[in-house]
Amino acid sequence: MEEELINLKNTAVSFILEAEDLDSLEATRAQFLGRNGKLTLLIKDIPKLPKEKRPAIGKLTNEIKVILEDTLSQALEKLKAQKTKSVHEKIDPTAPGIKPNIGHLHPMSQVLYDVVDVFKEIGFQAADGPEIETDYYNFEALNIPKDHPARDTQQTLYLDIANAKVNPGEIILRTQTSAMQGRVMEKTQPPLRVIVPGKNFRYEQVDASHGFEFWQVEGFMVDTNVRLTDLFGTIDYVLRKLMGQEIKLKFATTNFPFVEPGVDTYMECTVCKGKGCSFCKFAGWSEIMPAGMIHPNVLKAVGYDSQKVTGFAFAIGLSRLVTLRYKMDDLRLLTNPDLRIINQF
Amino acid sequence: MLAPLSWLKEYVTITLPPKKLGDRLTEVGLGTEKIHTTKEDTVFDLEITPNRPDLLSIIGVAREVAAIEQKKLNFPKLKTNLKPTAPILPLKIKTNYEINPRFTAIIIDGITVKESPLWLKKRLEQMGQRTINNIVDITNYVMLELGNPLHAFDYHKIKGNSMTVALSKGGESYKSVDGIMYHLPENAVIIKDTEGVIDLCGIKGGYSSGTFNDTKTIVIRVPVEIPSLIRKTSQRLSLRSEASSIFERGVNKGGTTETLKRAVDLIVELAGGKIASELYDFKKQEFEPTPLKLRLERLHFVLGIEIATKTVLEILTNLNLSPKLVGKDTIETTIPTYRNDLKIEEDLLEEVARLYGYNNFPKTLPQGQISTYPIPYFKDYKIDEKIKNILKASNFSEVFTYSLISSKELQLVEIKSDSVLRVDNPVSRDFEYLRPTLKANLLKALIQNKANFKEVNLFELGKVYIGKSIDKAKEEYHLSGISNSKNYYEIKGIIEKILKDSNGTGIQSKIEVVDDGIYFEINYTNLLENLNSKNKYKTFHPLPKYPALVEDMSLIVPQNVQTGTIIDAIKNQSSLIKEVTLLDTYEDSKTFHIVYQSNDKNLTSSEVSEIRDKFVNTLEKKYTIHLKST
Repeated sequence: MEEELINLKNTAVSFILEAEDLDSLEATRAQFLGRNGKLTLLIKDIPKLPKEKRPAIGKLTNEIKVILEDTLSQALEKLKAQKTKSVHEKIDPTAPGIKPNIGHLHPMSQVLYDVVDVFKEIGFQAADGPEIETDYYNFEALNIPKDHPARDTQQTLYLDIANAKVNPGEIILRTQTSAMQGRVMEKTQPPLRVIVPGKNFRYEQVDASHGFEFWQVEGFMVDTNVRLTDLFGTIDYVLRKLMGQEIKLKFATTNFPFVEPGVDTYMECTVCKGKGCSFCKFAGWSEIMPAGMIHPNVLKAVGYDSQKVTGFAFAIGLSRLVTLRYKMDDLRLLTNPDLRIINQF
Repeated sequence: MLAPLSWLKEYVTITLPPKKLGDRLTEVGLGTEKIHTTKEDTVFDLEITPNRPDLLSIIGVAREVAAIEQKKLNFPKLKTNLKPTAPILPLKIKTNYEINPRFTAIIIDGITVKESPLWLKKRLEQMGQRTINNIVDITNYVMLELGNPLHAFDYHKIKGNSMTVALSKGGESYKSVDGIMYHLPENAVIIKDTEGVIDLCGIKGGYSSGTFNDTKTIVIRVPVEIPSLIRKTSQRLSLRSEASSIFERGVNKGGTTETLKRAVDLIVELAGGKIASELYDFKKQEFEPTPLKLRLERLHFVLGIEIATKTVLEILTNLNLSPKLVGKDTIETTIPTYRNDLKIEEDLLEEVARLYGYNNFPKTLPQGQISTYPIPYFKDYKIDEKIKNILKASNFSEVFTYSLISSKELQLVEIKSDSVLRVDNPVSRDFEYLRPTLKANLLKALIQNKANFKEVNLFELGKVYIGKSIDKAKEEYHLSGISNSKNYYEIKGIIEKILKDSNGTGIQSKIEVVDDGIYFEINYTNLLENLNSKNKYKTFHPLPKYPALVEDMSLIVPQNVQTGTIIDAIKNQSSLIKEVTLLDTYEDSKTFHIVYQSNDKNLTSSEVSEIRDKFVNTLEKKYTIHLKST
């Protein structure tokens, strides 16, 4: 019996020391010390032994049990330490991580939502209106009567009127989101601060900087105390928030029939800092936000008294803003559904 | 408009260097697109806005430069008094003020047509003009210089010595001075002699009465035309000229005699000849400078700054608007006839502001109330962003495609082009129809991307245009997508998630299996309307007080019974069944996950087994669905 116990101890110790991982160590523990382990079974058999042998065998078994438990716990600690070490050795922090599969919002959306947010900060709400528009809202209500030369700068796409009870030329695809000025104003009273993002259409051949479909954000505000300096301040605030504190802006006089005085906003090219480069077509500055004080005739058309309220209006070329922000050299990149473009944003 | 520095300097002293002058010109409204500098000269390429026909002349640009430089303008010295110096030649002129408000003309006899002198040729070449002969060149030069277009007729070729201004009836043949034949549209302003049309007024002179080498006597006509009439004819003929651009925008009605004088002086100097008629000046009315008031209080209010009265007066003086201070607050100005863009007080505000310098203004943010009510046509872009982010999180990427598509693209989605809204004057055949669906562009986008990506998931939130005819047209937002990597149930799950998050269960949507993948479409306009009609915020449901009992149950289901039917059948058995979901499908066996819960008490297993027996029984009887034996 003693011999059997000694052999068992030797086998068990060598098994424990040879265990290469926590699983085999546990298996070894179960094999000898588990509920049906060899040592456990031997201990259970002790009562069956002759009385005189029991104390010696009992003592020996206890000693062996203590030895095995000690050896096990030492081996366990050693293996645990080894495991931590090896896990660390297996991690290569320089290897790229496994990215979650997430899609991309179009850069136009990303800039648009920024625009909406920035205007929200200064109390402007967003409106949305029809792209199929009447000549009245697109032109007439904006002080651009038929045969006005300003119509030349916005060549119009007319809709086929077959089978419809409308006059030729009356229904068009809007050429400017400014068409929403009349629509919103005639339904409400000042004070109001509005932006209108949306798509516009013009009869224009497509090239790197022109498209027959393009995005604009129209904006206008009317109140009892709206001044030209407020327009300058608003443009400055909004563009700095959208394009960065460090941008350079300058204002110039221009003419749109629906504003007086008329303002154009130029932003210095962010690539060449105004020196002229291929990105800005050697202009150094980019026309980015035409604006002005709302013309009294426009206010009159919606029933406002231009001696009591004043307002300003502006349009941001959203497509242009996107290409300027991300230094994209062609407007057509924005309507190209190529994921190699979109996945960059 | 091109403006050579050397030419401008004939009328005004310029101290600013070209680059600075260009910047200032841009600031005051003459967009300086380019400055071409050669050894000999500097030429400004200016963008002129439609309201400023006066700036389509060198004198007009020089006036702006004078206002910037705060210098006086030197108008060319005019020598002739337009009195006849040769025997008078007969000419019958008949005009109609409704179509020709002013007809100023004179006859010069005894001229010699020849090549222009070098200085004149050089100047015209600088302006991008072709040189023809001294007479034609002088008329072009004077138009470019002063901004009033003029035309020289060969007196002896005017049949019957008769010039009648009329409207065309349409269909008349007309050969222009450069030898091109036109068929005139109706209502073009023309001049007829006794045989035919000799001038297409305001656009291009005629061949039959043109000035050529054998011309000895000319009639010079300086007209005022009606902008809309010139514009219509010029558009119908697709024929534009320097003259028509000026007339369309409104010529200087008070400038015809000065222009005539300038032309006569140059003709006498360069081609000889003597005046052989009285001055003809048929006009609807006297075209004289008009008064316009400016209130200083209004100026300060609208501009937002106090500009010293002295400065305001200086600016207006430099613009030649002869300001007079009346009382403390009002300035009375006199608007010269060449500034027909100055009609209302706001126009004068701009004059002061632009010369004060937009970039000298302080910047302020608007004061006043911010309304808490939604404006008409309000749109909450947060909703768009939120819903797009669900798609983004599902590995879909966003595209923006054109609203205008081709008949080929319509074929791709099997839609007949005669049921779709159409553009009358498309930029090209590729962009002729208003898309009635986003599907065509997404299908194409998928194919395009397959070359570079194995897995393609795309979506677009955009407008579609419904209706067969334009008076019944409707615009709707659709949220559509396409995927070649997700299966039907994954797409369905995404749509369910979107609809659930936007309170939109029941909103019209569809999923279609297409050649290369799966296409889906949600009527986004409906979704938004539905969202607006409902309570904006979700209502919190208190946490259950009693635990749920859960069991998974495998059923043997005949092929013709759909999962939805089974789920409904189970749910309908008892209000204590809170949730039924499909866990797994293997061959004809489907495993459902069933949650039993009461708000009032702990459910006992006997209560649950009662419910279970009920629906198992129903499933057996109604659909021959059996409980799978284990």
